[in-house]
Amino acid sequence: MSGLQAAWAIARKDLRTELRTKESINAAASFALVILVLFSFAFDLGREELYAISGGLLWLVYSFAGALIVNRGFAREVPNDCLDVLLASPAPAWSLFVGKAVSAFFLLMIVEAISLPVFGLFYNIRWMQNFPQLLVVILLATWGITVVGTAFSAVTVNVRLRELMLPVLLYPVLIPLLIGAMGTTTALFAGESLAGDNASSLRLLVGFDAIYTALAVYLIEYVLIV
Amino acid sequence: MREKATYLLALLAAVVMIGNLHTIFTQLPDEAMQGAVYRIIFVHVPAAINADIFFTIALVTAILFLATKKFIYDSVTVACVEVGAMLTLFNLVTGSIWGRNQWGIWWAWDLRMTGQLMCFLLYMGYLLVRPAISEPTQRATMSSIVAIFAYADIPLVLMAIRLPNVRTQHPGPVLETGGMAPAFRGPFAIGILAMFLISAALVLVRLHQETAQREIDSLRREVHAR
Amino acid sequence: MDITNLTFLFYGYSAGWIIITLFVLMLVARGRKIDGELARLKALVEDRER
Repeated sequence: MSGLQAAWAIARKDLRTELRTKESINAAASFALVILVLFSFAFDLGREELYAISGGLLWLVYSFAGALIVNRGFAREVPNDCLDVLLASPAPAWSLFVGKAVSAFFLLMIVEAISLPVFGLFYNIRWMQNFPQLLVVILLATWGITVVGTAFSAVTVNVRLRELMLPVLLYPVLIPLLIGAMGTTTALFAGESLAGDNASSLRLLVGFDAIYTALAVYLIEYVLIV
Repeated sequence: MREKATYLLALLAAVVMIGNLHTIFTQLPDEAMQGAVYRIIFVHVPAAINADIFFTIALVTAILFLATKKFIYDSVTVACVEVGAMLTLFNLVTGSIWGRNQWGIWWAWDLRMTGQLMCFLLYMGYLLVRPAISEPTQRATMSSIVAIFAYADIPLVLMAIRLPNVRTQHPGPVLETGGMAPAFRGPFAIGILAMFLISAALVLVRLHQETAQREIDSLRREVHAR
Repeated sequence: MDITNLTFLFYGYSAGWIIITLFVLMLVARGRKIDGELARLKALVEDRER
């Protein structure tokens, strides 16, 4: 079995366990909805202003939900020493990591797919226009959140107060990604296309994903096998 | 020997710093636009430059720790990160005070300020996660990984805040363009040196504490083993 | 010389030195703790050896 096949097997295993219990996906989706409702009380905005902050709002919600999902990534394997067994298996550490990242990616995408229409409904944002471009931005930024998040979930798996440490480490690193995603999403909601200034934001997202995927895949061996 | 070197370095730092302050406050004229307050630049910018130097050293030693598993590298990393974070705070606070005087506001979400603040948050994450891991090898490994992830974020942050929707009002890059008046250049360079000497002395002290702490940990294990 | 600017120059430099002083005091406090702990442990080890 090659490394990628092993990664896919891990991802399938994680998705299957999650979809049977729906623990973190339910929690993350309802959390996202609660935040969306709360924001509508926090700001009383006109249509123009609402469009100006729409991208920021959406990505705040997504990154909060993302932290909830990646938190479970490696923590799931701690009871019964499952992590040790997985490491003892012939699958290399990086395929374990990639599998976890892929499953977190799918889960976060599901949560995002649930909350995007709700977001459009609550805030009267017409997100359907430019949907293919929006999808590109969402895919890139979601992968960025899950790859960094899963790496930090491995780093913090044996840390005291894990649930608190993960966001403290994760959000500062995600800032460039979120700046890029928020800017482009706002522009897309306003009917712009992915050209000019938005293209440089898109390049930032691609660069972020490339750098952190490479770093995480390369360094995960040191994290997991201490 | 080590103690003597530290004292010597601190003494040298004091001599250079006081000599330089003498030049800055008694020899240099007031700046045409800003009056007296421009003199903050002689500590403000050197703090930022030295923070970068120590963060870079921390990156190198973090990689060296992962490669060799020698604890001395981890000790250097934590010493450099701590002093670097202190210098970043120094830079932010002095800059903020200058900004209150010159711009009329304590904080502007300007390119370099945002970058420095992100830097500070990233490395605070490092300093927070460290004490939360009790096993020494694991602590050193995980915090080295966090140091590498934090450093990789800096170019991305710089790229993100250069995006067109982010505004700037920081003084231009006088160093690269040679816009600084010749009379100011000498004290400025000595300012960098002075700040470096102070920081290096602090790093040495912190490094010694870290090795002493390791000795304590091993003695504790010895006592418990019997 | 504009007096306001001098005031802020004073604020700036004081804030800077206060930060460094606080950092040094933090280091001293930690150093004391470590020295005390080390002395205690060494005494303990010697005690046990006898």
